[in-house]
Amino acid sequence: MKDLVIKGKWIKRELIVLTVLFLSAVIINVIGIVKHDTRWIEMLSQLHVVFILTLLLYALLWLVRLIIFVVILPFRKKNK
Amino acid sequence: MTYKQSRRIFLQKTALLTGGLFLGSHFPDIRTLANDQENMANTVRLGIIGSGSRGQYLMTHINLIPGIEIVAVCDNYQPNLDKGVEMTGGKAEAFNDYRKLLEKKNIDGVIIATPLHLHAVISIDSLKAGFHVFCEKAMAKTPAECLAMYNAQLETGKILLIGHQRMFNPRYLKAFEMINRGQLGDITQIRAYWHRNNDWRREVPETGLEREINWRLYWDYSEGLMTELGSHQIQVANFIKKDFPRRVTGTGSINYWHDGREVFDNVNMVYEYSDGSSLIYDSMISNAHYGYEEQIMGPKGTMELEAGKMYSENPPPAPGILQLLNNIEHEIFDPLPLGGKSWIPETAVKEKGEYIYEVDLEDDGTALEMEGFAQMIRENRHSDVLLREAYYAAIAALLGNMAIKKGEVVTFPEEYIL
Repeated sequence: MKDLVIKGKWIKRELIVLTVLFLSAVIINVIGIVKHDTRWIEMLSQLHVVFILTLLLYALLWLVRLIIFVVILPFRKKNK
Repeated sequence: MTYKQSRRIFLQKTALLTGGLFLGSHFPDIRTLANDQENMANTVRLGIIGSGSRGQYLMTHINLIPGIEIVAVCDNYQPNLDKGVEMTGGKAEAFNDYRKLLEKKNIDGVIIATPLHLHAVISIDSLKAGFHVFCEKAMAKTPAECLAMYNAQLETGKILLIGHQRMFNPRYLKAFEMINRGQLGDITQIRAYWHRNNDWRREVPETGLEREINWRLYWDYSEGLMTELGSHQIQVANFIKKDFPRRVTGTGSINYWHDGREVFDNVNMVYEYSDGSSLIYDSMISNAHYGYEEQIMGPKGTMELEAGKMYSENPPPAPGILQLLNNIEHEIFDPLPLGGKSWIPETAVKEKGEYIYEVDLEDDGTALEMEGFAQMIRENRHSDVLLREAYYAAIAALLGNMAIKKGEVVTFPEEYIL
């Protein structure tokens, strides 16, 4: 069986992606508060929703990556 | 939750309530109610008159409470009497005639759990013999008997407590307090119902005892659903309204259990209070889907007392982020409307509501009520408020049956207003 090697560069990239997604979720929270005129305390009280949204976006991103990988795979094999 | 836990919560809750002006004076002094050691030293000795199903239910609860001893049991049906004595570990003295029991001098109070038609005569005899009395609901079978019981209490000064255990249920107490603070606004309508799906019959082992055992089904002994079930919920409505119904109308019939019974198997009532608000009440024993509930409605919200939930008319908005995500979801997945909405259906509001009392209680207030009765005896303190509650609830229930039978609107008679 082949060993999987996870490189530090890959981890760093994924952490950056997660951070960007988390900040996006925070921005969505801010938009929600402003648009619906609710309380600013929701920046803290709704953090659990922000975290869940971050994970959802991350999962969605993986789905997109997977689709791209599947689409590109035949072309890669051809080039080889 | 065990009785001990329920009791601790009740004591805490009542301690809070006694700090206010609303409910405190209705209850025994909770400072002494909480003192088990002192209560054990001042054991209250009780006699049970009527050790049938309800009497046994009360005895089960009494057996949980320190400082109460059942020293006598009376029933004119031998199997019930034997069972009652057995529940005291064989310690209680047995009687077939309540008048013999009332000759005993070592009893502080009696608990009356007989069929309805005997409530008044036994209660009055007991009060006049110098005993404190706990009598099961409904108070009595006629308005005149209710008044006679009320007057007997005034005359003797002894305690007379009627079995409306919701007044000792922490969930109800919390709800009463919230309603009294105006959290629902003025109460404009109360809806209450009690639905069962059974014939309400007990097994009759010997011929000739049908009416004595299934007394709830016959007019000579009972007033049917209105007194056996309705009086509880009318009492709750009256307490919330701080009033009693001035008029009542309704219908009732036997529409399913055609088995020789006399009392109605369904009743549908409208009670009107002096401010024009109403209690809409129904009870049936051919469908149990909705169970039982009291729904208290005002311009600011609704309360369901059995479910223990409150629904605000203007609930706080959902957090902004959830509203935003919800809107996005609707925009993506909802079908496109072909034209603007010209009519919005006024269907029930789908709000989950909030629990008014988070703790799930095992006791429905019965054990606490028994303990309260014992404590009232220790303090020699009668509660006129609780007796008036029972009095007006019983008469309102009886007037309901009168309205059904007469087929007209019945007004609360002047001579029965205390």
